[in-house]
Amino acid sequence: MTTAWVAAAIVVAGGIALVAYLWRRAAQLERLLAESKEQLERLQRLFERFVPGDVVDRLTDARDEFPPLRRHVTMLFADLRDFTAMCDRLDPAQSVAIVNGYFERMNAAITRHHGHLTEVVGDGLLALFGATEPNPWQARDAVLAALAMRDALAQYNAELRGRALPELRFGVGIHGGEVVCGVMGAGEFSKFGVAGDPINVASRIEGLTREHRVDVLVSDDIRAALDAGFRLRPMPPALVKGKPEPVQTYYVEGLRS
Amino acid sequence: MALLLDQIEWDEPILSAVDDPAWEAEAKRRVGRVGEIDRRVAPNPWIRELCVAAVSYQPTHVPMRLFNIAAFVTAQENACRYCYGANRAALKVMGFPEALIRQIERDASVAELDVRERAVIEFCRNLARAKPRPSRAALERLVGLGYSKATADELALLIASSCFYNRIGVLTACPPERAFERFANGPLGRVVGAVAPLTLSLTNLMRRKPQIVADDANELADGPFGKVAAALAGLPAARIVKTALDGAFASPVVSRPTKALMFAIVGRALDCRYTEAAARALLAADGFDAAEVDAAVRTLAHPRLPPRETALLPWVRDTVHYQTPAVQVQTRALLNDIGRDATLEAIGVAALANGTVRLAMLLE
Repeated sequence: MTTAWVAAAIVVAGGIALVAYLWRRAAQLERLLAESKEQLERLQRLFERFVPGDVVDRLTDARDEFPPLRRHVTMLFADLRDFTAMCDRLDPAQSVAIVNGYFERMNAAITRHHGHLTEVVGDGLLALFGATEPNPWQARDAVLAALAMRDALAQYNAELRGRALPELRFGVGIHGGEVVCGVMGAGEFSKFGVAGDPINVASRIEGLTREHRVDVLVSDDIRAALDAGFRLRPMPPALVKGKPEPVQTYYVEGLRS
Repeated sequence: MALLLDQIEWDEPILSAVDDPAWEAEAKRRVGRVGEIDRRVAPNPWIRELCVAAVSYQPTHVPMRLFNIAAFVTAQENACRYCYGANRAALKVMGFPEALIRQIERDASVAELDVRERAVIEFCRNLARAKPRPSRAALERLVGLGYSKATADELALLIASSCFYNRIGVLTACPPERAFERFANGPLGRVVGAVAPLTLSLTNLMRRKPQIVADDANELADGPFGKVAAALAGLPAARIVKTALDGAFASPVVSRPTKALMFAIVGRALDCRYTEAAARALLAADGFDAAEVDAAVRTLAHPRLPPRETALLPWVRDTVHYQTPAVQVQTRALLNDIGRDATLEAIGVAALANGTVRLAMLLE
């Protein structure tokens, strides 16, 4: 009888121990899952610093691989004038701090007008409008972004002046056209971007800002998409690399009040 | 990636609360309480009516559990601090464990939810986000998982209705229901949450069978964007949607062509051919030719609109996909330009247009 009780007690104790073990194990797994999820979230947020948030969302959704597509996109190129010479004069940390402050302000202006910064090379940037989703107002958005960038740069220059630092000047070129959008690159070194001739044209138009001595230039295609609310001044047609005919551009003076 | 509650930047209220004892008594009778939103929309009859109807709506085909999850997920996607906080608190007092709520809001693979519920969450996020706006095929997938067509349609309605309500919350920068949130997270809320599942089960048992409303689809379709209301024929919501659309377009605070153009712009932004075509028909009746409408939608401006309403066209476009702080700054600027009554009506129209265009997926 006693043996039977002892055996039963051992079985019950064993059962309790097993349940306790499994309970603890489940709690451990749950904690592990939560930690992994938090880590993934952190990675996703970090990833959003390099790739537009919409693209990250779609790439992290297992059912959507963001297939490449042809789409009408407006491109905005901006480049700082004489920044390289400035870098030679300033302390490297100071140069980097100045240019980072510049990019931060430009990114805010671009995002506010439905664009996203896709590339930063040295002191130049490329912003896209309508690349991750169709945007019927992309030309308007890009020009409004350029005007907001102009205002933001003026404010930043006032700050720099106050700190006895050199001021910045930029040139902005805007053009739109059909390009291929997608995640491009080699394996692990891939990024979301666009490819096609309109990008070269946008870049050349940015280059023309030096020749015409103005800060914001748009192509004829962009002008055609804008309404009378924008004050534009035609510039003399100019030859650019890769184009047989001179390119007509317009200086964006601002908005009509 | 949708923001979490404490990540949403929220401005000071854009519209102040207005005392209207008669309306508050009516709202309390129908909903059981008067919310911060009700006090802010009180001066506009059609908006306040739709807000109360949206909150008091009893789904006839969608189970309450799913209804609550859908409202919660949609509020999070729309980054509405007011609705997100209130819906989160509501889930807690209904007995949803905090761990499950966290998993839903973090979009984790939620083991406690079945495949069908997870599909609903995905559908909610996609329709609220509308990047791109899901087509009818998304509803067919839900039907393929075993939901009835009426359930799928009502689910689309609930998400569209939340998109409306969330925008009212965001664009008025309505202060959160802090007292309710505190209650839900406090000891009393936990006690209520512990007994709620049993109470809800009993309520569900006593719930009436799905109510089929005998509506004339032709009559519903007659009026601005009426086909959207007609697509819901048979659900009690059809009449609510029709009353809201008719009320919005009958209200004199913002001119009818401006409202039609606001709908056309939201339709264009979300690639909804039906909404744009229906808006064009309304504008044609008001003497606007096709070329004029094309130019207005393309440039977000029109010379024949009343001058104080010109700012509404670019603004409404920014209510489709927005960053909460930026759209609240823009709405405050609008308030300074056009005054309280017109701003409130503009907010209602923008919210209604966003809801209607999402619901128009039922027509495709």
